[in-house]
Order: sequence, then structure tokens, then C-alpha cells
Amino acid sequence: MTSLRISAGLAIILTAALYAPASTRGVELHTAIDRLVEDAADGKFAAQATDQEFLRRLFLDLTGEIPAPNDVAEFVANSGADKRIEMVDRLLQDERYARRMSELFNVMLMERRGTDPTWSRFLVDSFKVNRHWDAMVRTIIEPDLSNVSEQGAGYFLTKRLEKYGQNATDYPGLASDIGRLFMGIDLACAQCHDHLFVDDYSQADFQGLFAFVSNTFVRRDTGFPAIGQKVMRKPLEFQSVFGEDMFTTGPRIPGGAELEVPEYDKDNQFAVAPDPESKAPGVPSFNPLHYLSATLPSASNPRFQTNLVNRLWASMMGTGLVWPLDLHHSDNPATHPELLSLLASEFAKHDFDIKWLVRELALTKAYQRSSILQMALDDHVQKAESEYRVFREKALSPEQLMWSILKATGAKDRYPLELNDEEKLATELPTTIDEVREQFISSFANPPREPEVEFSPSVRGSLFLLNSQLVQSWVTVGGNNSTLQLLKISDSTEIIDSLYFTVLSRPATAVELKQMRGFLISQPDRADAIAQLVWALLSSNEFLINH
Amino acid sequence: MQQHTNHQSSSHKQLCTPAQHVMSRRRLLGTTAASGLLGMGGLGGLVQPLIADELTQSDKQVLFIWIDGGMSQLESWDPKPNTKFGGPFRSIQTTLPGIRISELMPKTADIMHLLALDRGVTTVDNSHSRGVPRIQRGDPKDRGVIYPYFGSAVAKLMGQGNSQLPPYIWVKPGSGGFKYQDAGFLGPQYGALAIGDGLPPPNMVLPETLSHDDNSARNRLRQFANAQYAAGRNSTFGEAQSFVFDSAQALMNRRALFSAPDPVDVELYGDTELGRDMLIGRKMLEAGVRFVKVNSYGWDTHGDNFNGHASLMPRFDQAFSAVVTDLDQRGMLDNTLVIAMSEFGRTPRVNGHVGRDHWPEAWSIVMTGAGIRRGVVIGETNKTGTFVENDAHDIGDFFHTWFTALGVNSAETEYLNNGQPLPIAHDDCSPIKELLA
Repeated sequence: MTSLRISAGLAIILTAALYAPASTRGVELHTAIDRLVEDAADGKFAAQATDQEFLRRLFLDLTGEIPAPNDVAEFVANSGADKRIEMVDRLLQDERYARRMSELFNVMLMERRGTDPTWSRFLVDSFKVNRHWDAMVRTIIEPDLSNVSEQGAGYFLTKRLEKYGQNATDYPGLASDIGRLFMGIDLACAQCHDHLFVDDYSQADFQGLFAFVSNTFVRRDTGFPAIGQKVMRKPLEFQSVFGEDMFTTGPRIPGGAELEVPEYDKDNQFAVAPDPESKAPGVPSFNPLHYLSATLPSASNPRFQTNLVNRLWASMMGTGLVWPLDLHHSDNPATHPELLSLLASEFAKHDFDIKWLVRELALTKAYQRSSILQMALDDHVQKAESEYRVFREKALSPEQLMWSILKATGAKDRYPLELNDEEKLATELPTTIDEVREQFISSFANPPREPEVEFSPSVRGSLFLLNSQLVQSWVTVGGNNSTLQLLKISDSTEIIDSLYFTVLSRPATAVELKQMRGFLISQPDRADAIAQLVWALLSSNEFLINH
Repeated sequence: MQQHTNHQSSSHKQLCTPAQHVMSRRRLLGTTAASGLLGMGGLGGLVQPLIADELTQSDKQVLFIWIDGGMSQLESWDPKPNTKFGGPFRSIQTTLPGIRISELMPKTADIMHLLALDRGVTTVDNSHSRGVPRIQRGDPKDRGVIYPYFGSAVAKLMGQGNSQLPPYIWVKPGSGGFKYQDAGFLGPQYGALAIGDGLPPPNMVLPETLSHDDNSARNRLRQFANAQYAAGRNSTFGEAQSFVFDSAQALMNRRALFSAPDPVDVELYGDTELGRDMLIGRKMLEAGVRFVKVNSYGWDTHGDNFNGHASLMPRFDQAFSAVVTDLDQRGMLDNTLVIAMSEFGRTPRVNGHVGRDHWPEAWSIVMTGAGIRRGVVIGETNKTGTFVENDAHDIGDFFHTWFTALGVNSAETEYLNNGQPLPIAHDDCSPIKELLA
């Protein structure tokens, strides 16, 4: 019964994955994406985004911060036909790319549970060398502990086995997070019985995944986050709360084959024996995590193929082709099924190369459309957005907001630290970038274990912008900040124009020039007035939204 | 899935009988077509603007106590001691002759004459993920839109009153912030402002270097910039973002709401998370907040149900009885509709983990205050508590009842969403007259 259900659900996804429409063969992926988007659309398309809007969006997505005023000026002045492609390629090579991607993936994978310097190093190093997604996931599940740049990868597992509050060690949570974050399926509600309204999610799927992690523990002998395994002697037993029958399962990836739990005699149960001296636990001869790392992140696992393309699509385009991101099943199909299967199969063909996929998405017309659409009377904005006829506004992550405010105010130089080497991360100076980041996270981030996938502005964040000493110290004249630079300009029109370039990455319109200049010349204290103006634009929707 | 859907529709057929107001709805649909021509449509409006004006003048408020995860009716309002599924707890006499509730609620038993209890609740969903939103939305008919939670609905229908504070405040353990998702199609400005862990948000005071005039000036500049940005764009994000600034400003003006509680109050409400949050809830009501939701978590007792309730119920008993008594003594109960409920009840059958699972088939909801008859108990479950005998009530009936209690004509008032008139409560359900004063 159970196995029948699994194959039915899987068959649908597999069929979709093998299907590639004729119109998309033999063209680059971004062209194919646009054809599929346009084929499925019904209504007017927004114009191409202006150079300024495109550049701001691209900088935010690829470097994690707004462009500098001279970046904008140079880009607008460039009349080359391929300047957008060139800019995408330039930013993918920019050193901030690894920082931005490590922040994106840290939030995606850890969901604000905390941070660890070795984990951060693993992520940053991965994006510096463009480690592919299958290799990243293999490393997360089974890192080479002798390799310094892989040592922190186990944090994904170990952090989830930490106790928090009154809760028991959350092995079921770890199992369902592996399903959610690497395969796009949330099996948490199938722990105690088959999912009540998702036919594809069976209790056997959950328990099979659970069997991989049920014998794990956090190692205490390594000095960095690492996982150990106890010997698994027999398959896992489980029972539905709705029935009396007992079932058993060995480790099994949903949609895959069950692993038989072999019997070893006492002398052979460890491939590497425990070392009482170093306190290193042994490595069991039957090693479920090794099997998981070898088979989950692979082209033969269709759910692994689709999960990350859907997440990266959401990161670039503002929403997933499948939504919610971790509820992919045959009754909740993609809005654009052909598109998702094309993305998934191409991603697999390119060996799960994240940088390649980000580049292809950035080159689409869908990504480069304006966020403004003068709609026909019978059109609806939600419809236009869901058909990617207009660019959908996106939230700024707390990290994007921090780097962008530091950039706009010119206060970044006060905090010399960059997130890239261990020594710096260990520093505990009162004015480090880490401390600033903590303030942004506590003001703007979701609490631990709540995914940051929806736009949810908070009163707490507004109060931080309104009243915190930190923000106030950035907008008032000090150091060599933007307010001081603007104060040095004598012409009030030039001040406003420069202000808009600095904060909003575009020139001021005539209306804005008039209004803001009017305010500036009406104020007795020019330094205070400029600080007010900088603050007002920083706190504006245009700045706080990625559009 | 299929089975689930069938269950859904059959249960509605059984519970909600089309009432007379169907006729008046048709009449209203006619009116709406005309008003649409006159250009009165719009996002999240009301069909009847005059009703809207009148309601915003009302001084009625709501305290909505949400017991998340599912309180066991058998360990609270509908005990069945010495029966097959009754569990270990006894029942005790209340101030209402012949009415007994669980021994875990001695303080509530003393104020039973102030309450209205319905033991005959039957709803549809037995999962949290669907039950929580569906119940708080009043489970309206599917019209292809996302309905607002009760708090957002009241915020929309009745406005913020004279308090200057956000109309819908949610006091809860854990994270605070602005939960715009509650508002559904009404739009983000009707979402909940959540106060997390009883704490005022940090950064509540203007920087010393900034005068109030300066603050007003810079916010006017910000609003000007927002207006420039809004043109031609989807307004959802921008409005939500602007609203949290306005809420922040309103809170800054009312910082005293977060000052340390009076020890006498702490004694009365209980030195517990729920006691503390209920106390903040009362202060918010005093300050004039239209709708306050106080949230208690951790009631999903699939395992060890009896120890779980032995620990949870006294905290609820104290905080709940305290706030009802307190509101009554302050003369606020007549204007404040108080409701305490979960997303469903718990199974009579005790599972293998000495727990009770989810049971929407037969459970209880309690209420009091504005517009509600006091000292009344209606609805009845069978001897073992498994099903409701006679007249079962669905959540749609309660939404009609509560709107009526607040002075909102639930049969005639309609939202207007992009020109589509939408009833504020399930149009096959109707107010429960026995519960209304």
C-alpha cells in the first residue's frame, strides 16, 4: 500500500522531469526560460527595467548591497549592447559574490538557529571556489574532517541536535529538515501517520528519512561541529497513531529503495574502531550517513534536482515556481511545470553548478523586467506577478539591508571587518561588523526556525531605523560619511541629485528635486537637514524593498 | 484527500442551514452592481460605507484568547468522569446550578455565572496547519480569496477607535512583529501587531539629538518618497512597510503600556507566561485597543495528556478567571467581548502515549462580555463525549454570533474586494440566539 503511493507520486514528478518542450531545445537556458514564461502569460508585459533599477537589483542579488554612485553612472554611460551580460559576469566574479551567497545559504539552511565560524568559512569557501550544490550537500552530510575548509559543514546537522528550551533533542526535526531543505518536501506532519492531506507524503517516507539520523550524536572530541553515529543494529519500528500494525524500515530516501540493515558480529561492527584515547567515536561498518551523502544529492533523485532550482528561482524572482518552497507534491504542482522540469534537468546536466544557474536566471527578461506595470483595466496585479509579466518586489534580507545602509551612509569604513577569515571572526571588539550584524538580525530577522521567505516588515525594524543610536550615528555628520560628503557640496540642487544617487542609486526626478530642495533651503542647519534627508530616503519603501 | 473533502461538505450540510438572510444577500448583490458602476469598488472596502462609519464610532472591544494546539474539552469545559474516555480528573460544581466543569478549573467554576458555554461545537479540520487559520477565519465558503482572521476582520469593520493604537494587537510568547498574513484580502494594514514575550520592542525612545518636530519633518519626507515610489507598483509591500512605521510611532507615544506590572495584578493573574500576557492584554484593552488576541501555546498533548493538562489548566484557570473578573470589576465587561477557544478539541479515546489527539467533532467554546448572555450553557455531547447530540454549531455560527454581539449585522454587512461582495461570515450559518443577550 505504502510503496504503491510512493511510486505514484514519484512517477508524476519523474515524468515531468524527463519532458523538455520542443521550443526550448538548442537555446541557452535563459532564452528557453523566457519562451516558457511568455507562452504561459496572458496580458501585457512590463517594460525592461531601467538601467538604474536593473543595476540596483543585480547588485543586491549578486553582491548583497546596493551599487556605489559611480557604479551607476558608469553603467548608465556605457552604450555597449552587451553591457547587462557583462555586468552579470563581472559581479559573479566580484569578491562580494561569495559573501552574498554564503549569507543567502546560511539563512536558507540554518533558519537563524545561530552561527559558527567554521560553518561560515565552509560556506564562503564553497562559493569562492564555486563548489557545486551536490558536492556541498555531500559535504554537509559527510564532511572530510581532515580538510579545514570542510570542517564546519557538519554544523547543519549538529546545530539541529542541540537542545533548546524544554524540548527533547529534535531528531524528527532534523529528519524533516533534510527533506525540506534538500528535497523540497515537508514530511513533519507524516511523522505519526500518513500525511492527512498530502497523498504523496507517507509515514514510511518520514520514518525512512528518520532512520538515517536516528543513531547520530554530536561529537565532543573535534573542537568544531561534527557528527558521529552509533551502530544501527536493526531497522526502525513505527506505528501509525491511527492503527495497531507495526512496521519496520531501514534508512530510505523518499522515492528510493530501502537500505537493508545488515547484521555484524561484535568484532566487525566498526569499520573504524572507537579510539578511547582521543575519544573519537568509531565509524560503524553499516554507515547510513555515508549512503545518504552518496545518494541524496544526485541526478537520480528528482526531488533533489528541483528543490534548489525552485529556491534560487524564488530568491531571484520573488516567489517559487512551487509554493510553499517545501511543499512540493503532485497536488501542489509548479505554476509553470515545464519550466521547473527544464530548470531541474539543465541544473543536473550542468552538474548542479549554482553560479551557472544564477547567471542564467539573471540573464532572463523575466528577471530584467520593470517592477512597474501600467495595467490594462481587466488585468490584476497578482495575475501579472504570478505570470512574471512584471518584476515582483522582494524583501531585503537583514544582511542586504545592513550592507546597503552601510554603503549608502558611507559608514562601512568604521567597521573594518569582513566576513572572511577566522582570526577576524574571533575578535570581540565593541564595534565590529559582527556586532552591527547582530543588531540588524535582532531587528529585522525572523526568530530561529522560522524560514525567511515572505516579506514581513516589523515594528521592531521601524523602531530601529527611527530611534537606534547606531542608525542615528550613521546619518549625522561624522567620520567621512555620506552626510559630510553632501555637506561639502554648495549647490543645493547638486546635493539632492547626489543624495538620490547615493541612497536610491538613481537621479532625482524634477518633482523630487523641487520637494527635497525646498526642504533643504528652508532649514536653518544644513548638516541636520541633510541628515534628515538621508534618513528619510533610507527609511523609504524604495530603499527597503528590492524592486 | 477525497475522504477529507467529502467529510467537509457533508458536515456543513448537516450544520449550517440556509437562513432567511440569503434573500437579503441577493438584494445586496443587486445594490453592489450599481455601486460598482458608481466607482465605489476598491480593495478591502465595505459594500455599505454608512454601516462602516457607524461601527467605527462603537466602543465595543474584543479579547480573544487563543489556546493553540487544542485544549482538551474533557479536562476543561465538558468533563465526563467515570466514563470510558473520561480520564482521571473529577468534575466540580460551579456557580451555575447543575453545571459541572473539570476540577482543574476551580477559579473559573466560581465565575461560571458570568460565562456562556457551548459544549456542542463541531468543526471540520483536524490538522493544526489548516485548523488554525480556518477556524480563525470563520471557515467561510471558498470564494477564491483568503479571508481575514477574526482580529483583522474586526480591525477592518470597526477601526482603531480613539486609541491611536493599532486596532489588532496580538500578545504572545516568542517573536513579536507585524503579522500581516492574518489580514488576507483586506490588505496588510489590517494585520496583527504582535507583542512577543511581553517585551516592548527595543528603541522606543527618540534619539536625544532629535526633537519631535525634526522627527515629524523627516517622516513627512519619508512619506513623500513613498508616494513617489508607489506609482504603478503593487501596493502590498509598500503599505505593509509604511504601516509598521505608523504603528511604531503610535507605540512610542504609549510607552507606559509596557511598564512593570503591579504586584497585586501579578498575584491575581498568576506569575506565569499566560498570566503576564493576559495582564498586558487587559492594559491594551484599557488603552482602547479594539481587538486583543492573547495566545497560549503548547496544548497539543498527543502524549501524556493528563499530566500536560494538570500543568496547563491551572495557569489558564487563573489567568482567564482573573481577566474576566477584572474586566467586570472595572466596568469593562459590558463593552468587551471575551472568547476563549482552540482550533479543535481532543479525542475522547486515549492513545498509546496516554495522549489525546485532534478532535474537531465535539468540543467546547466559552465566551462572555459584550452582547453575550451570561450564565448559559448550551450544546451537549453524548455520554462518552465522542459526538454532539442535537444542535451542533460550526465556527461559522460563532462568527455570526460574535459579529452580532459587537453590533455588526453579520447577514447584511459585506466586504467589497475588487468589486466582489463577500459576506463577513459563512452565508449558510447564522447567529446562535441562545448565546446572545
